Amino acid sequence: MKDLDKPTKSLATTFDSKVFTLIAIKKAAYKYIRVFSADITMQGEQINCQLTFSSPVSEEEGGRLVEDFKKEVLDQDLRERLKAETEAVRNVILAHAFSKTGLITDESLSGD
Amino acid sequence: MSLFQGIEQYQAPTAAYQLLPFRFTSLDQDQYVLTNLAGEYLIVDRRTLVELQRHQLSSTDPAYCDLRARHFLMDASSLIGPALLSLKLRTRYHRLAEFTGLHLFVVTLRCEHACPYCQVSRQSEDTLRYGMSPETASAALDLALRSPSQHIKIEFQGGEPLLNFGLIQFLVQEAEARNQRLGKNLAFVIATNLALINDDILRFCRDHSILISTSLDGPRDLHNANRPRPGGDSYERTIAGIARARQVLGSDRVSALMTTTEASLPRVRAIIDEYVTQGFTGIFLRPLSPYGFAIKTRSYRAYNAERWLDFYKQGVDYVIELNRQGMDFAEYYASIILKKMLTSEDPGYVDLMSPAGIGIGALVYNYDGSVYASDESRMLAEMGQEQFKLGHVLTHRYEEIISSPNLLDPLEESFAYSAPMCHDCAFEPYCGADPVLHYALYGDYLGRKPESEFCRRNMEMFRYLIRKMESDPFVKQLFMKWANR
Amino acid sequence: MLKLHGQLPILHAATRAPYLVTVTKNARIPPDLKQARALLMQPGMDPTGFKTILTRGGEKPAGSPESDVFELSGDYEYLDEGDILRVDPSSGSMRCLYRRNSIHNTILLTEQCNHYCLMCSQPPKQADDSCLMDEAMELIGMIPPDTEALGFSGGEPTLYGHRFVELLRHTKTRLPTTAIDVLSNGRAFKDMAFAKQYAAVQHPDLLTGIPIYSDDPVRHDYVVQSRGAFDDTIQGILNLKAVEQRVEIRIVIHRQTVDRLVRTCEFIARNLLFVDHVALMGLEITGFTRPNLGLLWIDPFDYKDVLSEAMAVLNAYGMAASVYNHQLCTVNTDVRVNYRKSISDWKNEYLDECTSCTKRDECGGLFSSSKLYKHSAHIRLFT
Repeated sequence: MKDLDKPTKSLATTFDSKVFTLIAIKKAAYKYIRVFSADITMQGEQINCQLTFSSPVSEEEGGRLVEDFKKEVLDQDLRERLKAETEAVRNVILAHAFSKTGLITDESLSGD
Repeated sequence: MSLFQGIEQYQAPTAAYQLLPFRFTSLDQDQYVLTNLAGEYLIVDRRTLVELQRHQLSSTDPAYCDLRARHFLMDASSLIGPALLSLKLRTRYHRLAEFTGLHLFVVTLRCEHACPYCQVSRQSEDTLRYGMSPETASAALDLALRSPSQHIKIEFQGGEPLLNFGLIQFLVQEAEARNQRLGKNLAFVIATNLALINDDILRFCRDHSILISTSLDGPRDLHNANRPRPGGDSYERTIAGIARARQVLGSDRVSALMTTTEASLPRVRAIIDEYVTQGFTGIFLRPLSPYGFAIKTRSYRAYNAERWLDFYKQGVDYVIELNRQGMDFAEYYASIILKKMLTSEDPGYVDLMSPAGIGIGALVYNYDGSVYASDESRMLAEMGQEQFKLGHVLTHRYEEIISSPNLLDPLEESFAYSAPMCHDCAFEPYCGADPVLHYALYGDYLGRKPESEFCRRNMEMFRYLIRKMESDPFVKQLFMKWANR
Repeated sequence: MLKLHGQLPILHAATRAPYLVTVTKNARIPPDLKQARALLMQPGMDPTGFKTILTRGGEKPAGSPESDVFELSGDYEYLDEGDILRVDPSSGSMRCLYRRNSIHNTILLTEQCNHYCLMCSQPPKQADDSCLMDEAMELIGMIPPDTEALGFSGGEPTLYGHRFVELLRHTKTRLPTTAIDVLSNGRAFKDMAFAKQYAAVQHPDLLTGIPIYSDDPVRHDYVVQSRGAFDDTIQGILNLKAVEQRVEIRIVIHRQTVDRLVRTCEFIARNLLFVDHVALMGLEITGFTRPNLGLLWIDPFDYKDVLSEAMAVLNAYGMAASVYNHQLCTVNTDVRVNYRKSISDWKNEYLDECTSCTKRDECGGLFSSSKLYKHSAHIRLFT
C-alpha cells in the first residue's frame, strides 16, 4: 500500500525527441507554470523533464499531474503539426472571410 | 436488339479507383459516418470502410455506387466529382465573405427581472448610467453599417431594451436614413421580456417592420421560477405581450426563445406543449451557456452534457411524434445542424461556425461603447475577463476593431480544421469553433476536445440526428424539410 | 392520335419540289396571298389562284392549272386555319408541322443523334437531314408571333453547332414573345465557348431540357448508350447555369432508372440545386421502347411510392418539380401538387373506361402508344 500522505516535491518524466518536439514540451510546461516549474534537459534522444511543484503534493496527486502534463504535451505537439500542415487552407479561408472588409489590399486574395 | 450494349460496357475498364478526400467517425458498434469534402455523409459498416480504403472494394458491392455518386471515390467511369465537390465547397463558404451580418446593440443594462442565469448584472430602474448614449449609438451604427454584408440585422438587447426605447427609436430612424445611400437589406429585432410593451411601442415596431423576440421558458410555474420579477407575473405578462404583439405586428413577426435551466431538464414535453399551445410553429431547445451568473452560481455545473442530451433527445423525439400526427412544428437547433448536413448552405449560426462566428458572424456594441466579438464575449467581460474586447466605438476605427488581435488570434487558434481531433473528425463540417466558451471553461481558445463538453455534446447530437434519419424514412423527409427552412 | 403526316393522293401536280404552306379555309383572300396558301376546299368554293388545294372529293377542281391538288382523307379532319404544312407534289407526302390551335408544337430539327437511348422515342438516323434546319428557318418566319410556346427537338439539335444558335436568334427576332423549349442531351455545352454563344442570343424565354437518368454515371451512360455522357452532360449543365441560362432536368422513369430515382433526386438537390425545373416523366411506348420493353417496363402503379419519395426530396429542397405523363389513378395523392397534364394533344388519349371517371378532366391521360401497346394494369375509375 502506497503511503499517500507522503508529500512530493519533485517528479521526473521523459519524452522521446523522435516523437515530440521541444517546443511542444515547453508550451505544455508553460501551461503548468502555476503548478510546477520544469527543468528540461536533453540526454541523447531523450528529453528529460524534472517537475518541481510550487507546493508539495501527495504522490497520487503528483502522479495525476504528470499524466495530465503528458496529455498536454501530446496536445501541443499535435496542435503544432496540424497548424503547420493546414496553414495554406486556413489562410485561404480566413482571407476569403475578410475579403470584402477592405482590410486586405492584395488583389489576388480579394478576387472571387 | 443487338445494337444495344449491356451495362457492363459502361463500367470503368478496371477495378481501380481513387479515394476522394473524406473523414470517418464511428456511429455505433459497427457503423461509421463518412463525410466527404462538401460535408455530405454516408453510413457504411466497418468491413466496407476497410475495403474501401484498401482499394479492395468491388464495384458490385452495394455501397460502391453510393460512394461513387456521393463523391467518396472516383473511377474511370466519371471524373466530374472534384468539380462538383469544389462547387459545393465554394457554396458552403460563400457566405463567409459577407462578413458581419448580426449587430447586437446593448442599449441598457437596466432590467426589472432577476433571472438567476442572466449574465447581465441586475440594475434597478433609476440607475441612468447604464444606458447607451446617442453619441455612442451613432458611432456604433457607423461601425455596423461599415460591414460589407448586404444583409444587416440589428438586434436590440439589454437588460431590458424597452427601458431605453427612446434610443431604439433613434437608432432605427438613423439606420434607415443612413441606409438610403447604402441600399442594404436592414432588419431590426428587439429581444424583450414584453413586460413593458405598450401600443406606442408596438405601433413603432409595426411601422418599421421590427421583429420581436421574447423569452418563454415553458409553462407558467417553470417560466416564473426561472424569471423572478416583482409581482411574480413574468409568464402572464409574456403571454399577454405575445398576444398584443401578434395583434399589431402579425404572428410571423413574434418569436420566442427558451432558456434551459436545471428546472427545465425533466420537463421538455411540457415546454414544447406550451409552445404549441401558444401557437408557435417551432422551438429552439437551447443548451445553457456557462456565462455570467451561471458560472458564478455554478448552475452550469448543475448538469453536464449527458443530462442536457437526454432533455434534448426527448424533446426532438416528441416533436417528431407531433409531426407524425400531422402537426407542422419544427425544432430549430436540429434545423440548423441539418442544414449543414443536408445542404451546402451555411445557416450562419454564430455558435457553430468554423472559422468561429466571433466578429465574422456577429459584433456587439455595449451600452458603454465597448465593442465585443460576440454576445458571449461581452458576458465574459461582465465577469471581468476582457479577452474578447475589440475596442471602443468612439476611439477605434472599423479597421482597428476587426483587425484586433483579440479577434484574429482566437479566430486563427480555434480554427477547427487545425485542431487535434477536429481535424480528423467526420462531423467537423457540422460543428464549429467556440473560442469564447472554451476560454471561459478551459482557459484556452481551443481546449482539449476529448475533455470538452462542447465536443461531447455536439458529437452526440450529430450521431443522434443521423441515427434518426437513417432508421426512419418519415424522419428523413421531415429533416429534409427542416434543413431547407 | 392525330395523323400528322402521310401520303396524299395527288390529283394535280403543278410544281415538283416540296414546300411549306399555310392552311386557310377562306377562299376570298387577296390574290397575292392565295399564292402562299393551301385552301381547305369545301363545296361551293372557288379555289382559283391558290398555291395548294386540299379537297375531300376525288376530282380535281376545275380552273386551277397552277395549283397542286391533294386529296384529304378523314384522318385530316383536324386541319384548321393557320396550320402550316410541308407538302411534296412529286410524292404526295404531307406533314403538318405547326397547328394553330395546339399548345404543343415541336419542330424536329434533325434525326441525327450522338446518343442511342434505350427508350428513344425518335430513333436516330445517320443520313444528312440538314434540310430540316433550312425548313425550320423558313417555318419560323411563317409562324404567327402570338404563338405562346414552341419546342425544338431531334435527335440532338446542338449537332448543328452555330447553325442552331442562328436558329435561336432568328426565332427571337421573328417570335419575340414565344417561349422556347429546347430538348438536348446538353453535351455540346461542355464547350464553354458554345455555351456563351448560346447565351449571347439573350433569348427572353428559353428553357433547355436536359436528361439525367441516374446519379450513377455508369447507369446514365448505359441508358443513353454512350460512354462519358454523364460527365459531359453535367459539365454542360454547369456551363449553361454559369452563363445564366434556364435549365430543366428530365428523368424518364422505367425499370432501368427507378431503382436509383430517389438517390438521383438527392444528387440533383445537392449538386444541381440551381436548375430551374425537374421533370419526372412516364415512359412513352414508341420508338426503341417497344423492342426494349422487357428491359424497361415497370407498371407505374408499382413504383408510385418511389415516385412520391423522390418528389418529396425535390419539394423539400424547394426545387420546382413536376410529374409528367402519368395517370392520376397510378400516382399517390401527395404528388398531385406537382402533377401536370403534359402529353402533347395529338398523341393524348384515354381508355374507353375512363369516360365515366370523375377525375377525367384533371387527368393527363395516356400516350396513344401506351393505350395501343402497354399501360398500367391498375387504371381504375375515381368515383
